[in-house]
Amino acid sequence: MSEITRRGFMVGCSAAIAGLAGSRFNTLAFAQPTADQEVLVVLFLRGGTDGLSLLPPISGADRGYYEAARPSLAVPTTGPDAALPLDAQFGLHPAAAPLLELYQNGNVAVVHAAGLNEANRSHFDAMEFMELGTPGLKNTPTGWLTRHLQSSAGLPPEVIMPSLAMGSSQQASLRGDRETVNLVDPGVFSLTTGPWRWRDAQRTSLRHIYTADNSLLHTTGNKALDALDVIELYVDDDYSPANGAVYPDTGFGEHLATVAQMIKLEMGLHVATLDLGGWDTHTGHGYWVPLLIEDLAQGLLAFYTDLDGGGSQDFAQRLTLVVMSEFGRRFEENSDDGTDHGHGNAMMVMGGSAIGGLHGSWPGLASHQLFEGLDLAVTTDYRRILSEILIRRLGNNKLGVIFPGYSDYSPLGVVSGVDLPPDYGEQVFANGFESGDLEAWSTHQQ
Amino acid sequence: MEAPPVGVVAFNRMAFGPRPGDLDAFEALGGTDEARLLAFVDQQLAPESIDDSEAEARIAASGFTTINKSLSQLWVDHAVGDPDWEVRIRPVVETQLSTFVRAVYSRRQLLQVLADFWHNHFNVYGWDFWEAPVFVHYDRDVIRPNVMGNFRTMLEAVAKSTDMLFYLDNWQSSKDGPNENFARELLELHTLGSENYFGAIPRNQVPTDGDGIAVGFVDEDVFSVARCLTGWSVDGDPWWDPTTGNGIYLYRHDWHDLAAKNVLGLDLPANQPAEKDGRDVLDLLAAHPGTGRYIARKLCSRLIGDQPPDGIVDAAAAVFTTQVDAPDQIAQVVRAILLSDEFRSTWGDKVKRPFEIAVSTLRAGDADFPFIEGNGDTDTFEWLYYNTGQYLFGWHPPNGYPDFKEAWISSGPRVMGWRLTNWLIDVQDSADTYRMDAVSQTPPQARSARAITEFWVDRILGRPATSETSEELIDFMAQGRNPDFDLPLDTDVGTQERLQTLLGLIFMTPEFLWR
Repeated sequence: MSEITRRGFMVGCSAAIAGLAGSRFNTLAFAQPTADQEVLVVLFLRGGTDGLSLLPPISGADRGYYEAARPSLAVPTTGPDAALPLDAQFGLHPAAAPLLELYQNGNVAVVHAAGLNEANRSHFDAMEFMELGTPGLKNTPTGWLTRHLQSSAGLPPEVIMPSLAMGSSQQASLRGDRETVNLVDPGVFSLTTGPWRWRDAQRTSLRHIYTADNSLLHTTGNKALDALDVIELYVDDDYSPANGAVYPDTGFGEHLATVAQMIKLEMGLHVATLDLGGWDTHTGHGYWVPLLIEDLAQGLLAFYTDLDGGGSQDFAQRLTLVVMSEFGRRFEENSDDGTDHGHGNAMMVMGGSAIGGLHGSWPGLASHQLFEGLDLAVTTDYRRILSEILIRRLGNNKLGVIFPGYSDYSPLGVVSGVDLPPDYGEQVFANGFESGDLEAWSTHQQ
Repeated sequence: MEAPPVGVVAFNRMAFGPRPGDLDAFEALGGTDEARLLAFVDQQLAPESIDDSEAEARIAASGFTTINKSLSQLWVDHAVGDPDWEVRIRPVVETQLSTFVRAVYSRRQLLQVLADFWHNHFNVYGWDFWEAPVFVHYDRDVIRPNVMGNFRTMLEAVAKSTDMLFYLDNWQSSKDGPNENFARELLELHTLGSENYFGAIPRNQVPTDGDGIAVGFVDEDVFSVARCLTGWSVDGDPWWDPTTGNGIYLYRHDWHDLAAKNVLGLDLPANQPAEKDGRDVLDLLAAHPGTGRYIARKLCSRLIGDQPPDGIVDAAAAVFTTQVDAPDQIAQVVRAILLSDEFRSTWGDKVKRPFEIAVSTLRAGDADFPFIEGNGDTDTFEWLYYNTGQYLFGWHPPNGYPDFKEAWISSGPRVMGWRLTNWLIDVQDSADTYRMDAVSQTPPQARSARAITEFWVDRILGRPATSETSEELIDFMAQGRNPDFDLPLDTDVGTQERLQTLLGLIFMTPEFLWR
């Protein structure tokens, strides 16, 4: 696990930062420890995204079922708002047009009918199950990304910013990680309030107070001071995207731009999390879904473009971004121009090493093929996709630690990279993992 | 963590922190800790008996124009005719400001704590297009009158409230395709809780009690409850323009699914009279032991600690269930929790969230702070407070702001909280007087760095800080001089600014956050 430390950002100050910071740092030693650092960005679409709007079926029997189930909400196949065909069977929502070129260039892998194996139509349960990485258990004290950071062997010991959580609070996937920088807006992430005359002295005292003990609030407060130092010293409030990238003028666009900025500063960023909410379209589906998809697609295109420079600026080459949501939506629309909570959904993987195209197996939309006769079924466990990224891109095969209880991994082929045999750890027995063991494990971790 | 004096526990967990004199007044309430706490709890559980003229005077002087309007008037003035956004959201703006006034200045502190609890339990995002215009009604008529009352009564008030009907879409739900949004959260968040959700499995796999009622719910129950609540709507055209109506709850029998239903094993016959299906469901849920336990656990988590011991949860749940018909059912549950051994002996299993940080800072520093629409300092406060991540009535999902440590200890809320409190100690009114003026509140005999610091630590924390923190605070105030020598506090502006900064530093300590 990489630690954020003051020493870390003194020795770890990269050439990128040195260029920006100029003379402010001319007394510090510079190193460039992170030029080959893989970056994983996890984007969670909160509220339950409708995968059947993002990637509608455009032909065959499933098209007929789809139009029958969605008389007012089906994405059409003709006219100005027609789906953009990806292959003979599936199209992309027209508002996702910005993603089409990336898809055609092979930078986007799409997996339909992915999700939690155990169905759960509660937002809050399903999100916790997925982000904690322990389906069925929501008291797990650490998130799956936290356990990746703790168990990964190849990470440098000290970096400026190992992980970043965009939002008002740290995502559950990073729960329990004390090295993560969490913020909403670097522009206001500073302590520029209080009488200026005593500001420096106050800051010095604050550091002394927080290093005097190891309580939860002391250690986390001390890390918050580290984060403050990093952002105040290194991050320019006035960020200009590269390569003509234009982020959408939304909170999501701002968050993506901040992640891109941190990646380019080469501070050792290895994991970043961010959210796009508003997908719980029980009503107003027809109005909101296109707007949300547009924000999503424009944002992802801008992010990729911004990072896709040449030579040393080819950050996209070591980027993997995964898009997930807690569940899909009900196959049949309700009477209110809306859709209720469903089950299977689409996931996307974008990055320089993504293996573009449609992956996974399609369960079909005939009523006997639907989960409980109601929802798109799940044919790909979301952990399979994340595990493949962990192994092939991040070089971490400790699946028994990261996804305890998951024991039948095989790569689906969404990203390229070197395969390693999955390490399920000692808790896993030849005949599989028993739930009692999982509960014991969870309790033990507390 | 060892618990501080019981008065400090009480003021930090059943109130928003002490104001000057509060802890002394608490000590005078009796001869033992038990007697003092008993007297304080019973006083706070009878809010109408507490003189609240200061808060009322401040509300009256705040220039609010919407908080006394009827629901109909709010609808006409702030929704009908699609007024400007500022006009539209004025009711929620004023509810937010008056909530701050009450949290800081009301002596009915438990009432304010419980209003915050129930607002989050029955969360409505208040800044939305249709919710904002009538949010005053939701706060004043739906939540606040019931926070110490009967749960079943509150549940129906919420289910029929204009804001909840809009927020979770039930106003549009009809037999042609019931909308499940409210029904699901009614079960999962408002009554049985997700601890009693068995997921997407057949109902016959859920255990039942002696009367054949399931101990928890599955998705089938969500679907049935949605059908039971079809037709619980709002007067106004849901497809074109709600302002064709008066914005008040309306039961539409022609939208109601009249077929027979089954909820948790309870059969509801076909063709029940108006509203009966829905009321039967609310009766069933409010009396269900799963609901009692879930609500009891949530209240214990708020008032005691993130992981309350099972014993007190069981005891509180038992009160909830046996007093299910009592008009003061919730007050009795809260009383059982506050008078428990666990309440007095637990400390440090909970931290302040930004709302509690902001309010307890203003209280400890006895600030004279305006919460007035259009006031420049109010605007700055709102902006700094917004960045902390706990904007009032600003949580979009229906589960309310998280109420456990882990959600609030990362760098974002920490730094944004420091940024806010460090502004509060520095802001001055138009006469250049600090709104939290430390010099005038420091006793004249306290002039050395040590004496000044000890006075303010005791005022703000109500107990000594750790020796490390304490030394650092004294060192800060002394700035290299002998901490026992007098400082020119009455004449030197730099020293006065240093004292203000010392307050800011105390508000930033770990000690200030634990509760």
